[in-house]
Amino acid sequence: MAVKKRDPFYLRLARGFNEYIRMFREGDLWTRLSYLIMGAGSLARGQIAKGLLFLGGEAAFIWFYAGFGWRYLKDFGTLGTNAQLRVWDEADEVFRRIPGDNSMLILLYSVLTLAAILPLVMLWKSNVRAAYKAQKLRESNKSLPGFLADAKTLLDNRFHMTLLSFPMITLALFTALPIVFMVLIAFTNFDKSHQPPGSLFGWVGLANMRNVVFSNPLYARSFGGILGWTFVWAVFATFSNYILGMILALMINKKGIKLKRMWRTIFVTTIAIPQFVSLMLVSKMFTDTGVVNVILQRLHIVSSPIPFLTDANWARFMVVMINIWVGIPYTMLMSTGILMNIPAELYESASIDGATPVQTFISITLPYMLFVTGPYLITTFVGNINNFNVIYLLTAGGPATLDYYQGGKTDLLVTWLYKLTVNEQNYSLASTIGIFIFVIVAALSLTVYNLTGSVKKEDQFS
Amino acid sequence: MNVRKLTAIALAALITLGAASALADTVPLKVWGSQENQALLGELIEEFKAANPGVEWDISLGVVSEADAQTRYSEDPAAAADIFAFANDQLRTLVTSDSLSEIAGSRLEAVEAANTAGSVESATLDGVLYGFPMTADNGYFMYYDKSVFSEEDVLSLDRMLEVANAAGKKVFMDVSNGWYIASFFLGAGCTLDIGEDGKQICDFNNANGLAAAEAIRKFTADPAFMTGDDSVLQGGMGGSIAAGVSGTWNASAMEDKLGENYAAAPLPSFTCGGELKHMASFIGTKILGVNSLSDYVKEAMQLAEYLTNEASQLKFFEQRALGPTNIVAAANPAVQENIALAALSAQSAWGVSQKNVLNGYWGPAEAFGLEMENKSDADLQGLLDQLASQATQ
Repeated sequence: MAVKKRDPFYLRLARGFNEYIRMFREGDLWTRLSYLIMGAGSLARGQIAKGLLFLGGEAAFIWFYAGFGWRYLKDFGTLGTNAQLRVWDEADEVFRRIPGDNSMLILLYSVLTLAAILPLVMLWKSNVRAAYKAQKLRESNKSLPGFLADAKTLLDNRFHMTLLSFPMITLALFTALPIVFMVLIAFTNFDKSHQPPGSLFGWVGLANMRNVVFSNPLYARSFGGILGWTFVWAVFATFSNYILGMILALMINKKGIKLKRMWRTIFVTTIAIPQFVSLMLVSKMFTDTGVVNVILQRLHIVSSPIPFLTDANWARFMVVMINIWVGIPYTMLMSTGILMNIPAELYESASIDGATPVQTFISITLPYMLFVTGPYLITTFVGNINNFNVIYLLTAGGPATLDYYQGGKTDLLVTWLYKLTVNEQNYSLASTIGIFIFVIVAALSLTVYNLTGSVKKEDQFS
Repeated sequence: MNVRKLTAIALAALITLGAASALADTVPLKVWGSQENQALLGELIEEFKAANPGVEWDISLGVVSEADAQTRYSEDPAAAADIFAFANDQLRTLVTSDSLSEIAGSRLEAVEAANTAGSVESATLDGVLYGFPMTADNGYFMYYDKSVFSEEDVLSLDRMLEVANAAGKKVFMDVSNGWYIASFFLGAGCTLDIGEDGKQICDFNNANGLAAAEAIRKFTADPAFMTGDDSVLQGGMGGSIAAGVSGTWNASAMEDKLGENYAAAPLPSFTCGGELKHMASFIGTKILGVNSLSDYVKEAMQLAEYLTNEASQLKFFEQRALGPTNIVAAANPAVQENIALAALSAQSAWGVSQKNVLNGYWGPAEAFGLEMENKSDADLQGLLDQLASQATQ
């Protein structure tokens, strides 16, 4: 079956509207009433349970809006104007607080309330359609399906709805809504001097975006610098682990290597210790007075401590190296399986042709691996762009620098964002940066993903 | 106006009634204190319960260090503790978010009468007292090894470095830390203040600041200079380190390491643009604040007052060697004889209140200190301009 090309969104929307206008024109009194009072059509035609469900849905929605949602939604435009009040309590000699508006709660619940319209629209549509369908069935003197029959379709030809409804609801509540909420913060001035409930924040439009891109030279410079290092880091961290892990796996797999299992186990032990424990220990080892420097000095290899983590270039080098140490075992394990799948005849013919091990690696192993692990590489790359653990636990973004606003030379965008949020309470700036990270990562991974061999030549595996 | 007042009073009365009726029930209170203070706080809370019968107290104790209180509070004010200890540099942020319940009326008079003027001032912002002063020791001074330095030596940084070099020892100071490095700038006459717009004012890039920066560069370049965190000082004191800038929390560790040679003094003077200037220091207090959103403000005040009274502060001194803010407790002979606290109180003559420092200062100051420790040859004026512009963002 050929895939039908879908019309653009607005055309489909217009057609949808037309459909409902047509049904209204053709509808009788009850069907038309259903447009206002949900479930009217179903009730009038004896589908009591169905009608009550529709009506109940509408009532619940109105109750939710009037009793809860509207209180917050009415202030959505300003995000609140009255901060909480203080009242002197003479008897107890304390000030008590009269709760006022809370910008954050207004924003949060407004998003929730606005989102609640979506299920209502869906319910309303199915209500109108049910009314219209019932009317038509009546007009042609056919019997209407009972409630049980309707419900049964959920286990039969509408089974996909039953299966997907729960994941969809949780996805919307716990993933989509928080994201919308946090994206909206980027358009406010929620920072250290606007902390509800004491002092409220409001909308500032695109000011934060402008600040990061050009208006505030310090922010712009910091963002550019940190973004640059983030990419350098992601490239080095991803490919160093990938290639070295693969070489390690090749070495262990090589014929003639004894005690293969032992080697593999030794390397995998780094996985056995929780990453944050080993990273924190390693960061202690490399301080100016840490074990490594003390040993080097005692052996008179260096006279003064090497600034492993306090010099920008050293620190950048060290985080990449230490990341190799903690990351290689994973690539090694993964590569081992794939390497064993490479047809041995390829290597045989290569050796007959007199290829060197390096040539074999570049012409056979690497292309094969890249073909199979292309998507894996992309996820690792994206994971490294947001590799909070390694950076934060090793250097906490340090060494601090005056070039960046509240940032350090090994800060990734994500650790910088963390600092801005936790130390500076600059939520709006952090949210803006979060949006930028998302745009960059999404654009990059989609483009690269579509260019990988595994996608373009899906059907030509091997 | 009148209507508003009336409603406010009516509301207050309602709340009071609500609180009064709740009195018969349990009073749940949550207290945040540092890990080190947990045992003592628990003990004091039990005493408080015994001293206030007739109420069903349900007091829970959580671990949040004084340094993290504001951060943890802002995560969810409504779920934060009713009473929490915080370092007074967080006062302004906490007041901006209206997080602290003001102390007023007879309670205010009592706190003002019982505590040293400086400690009350450190908990006061724009004329309003926002918490109960708890300990007056959030400052730093110089620990030194009596066998290396004489009492005269520790008066001057130059002299100390000379002596240390001759003895092959180190002088320790964590210069890559905004808290300690400010010592030079503030000593040289620079200021950290808050402007009317609520933003940080920092003039470290003026001529005085430049002179101070040159002094820092000279200090960090000296072979006897050593930096690091607390663990470095604790490990090296008495060994390679002969003197170190730190605070009272290290007193017992220093005493253990140095034994008979344990001594402490105010910070020394340093040569700044040809003149001799005394190193200043941040002087801060720890304050016990009451969450303004607490459902039991009155009871929380009662408990906070108890935890900071004379007897409690003496216990904090005896068990944790924390300096009292209570006038009577501070006059106690045992407190007076404490070497570290004596040095701290002598240093307080050059103390600068930390409540006028916003969070934005620490990062850039640390970055500047790091440049100095790494013996960067960058233009000092340029670095200071960056420091000042970042701190005042």
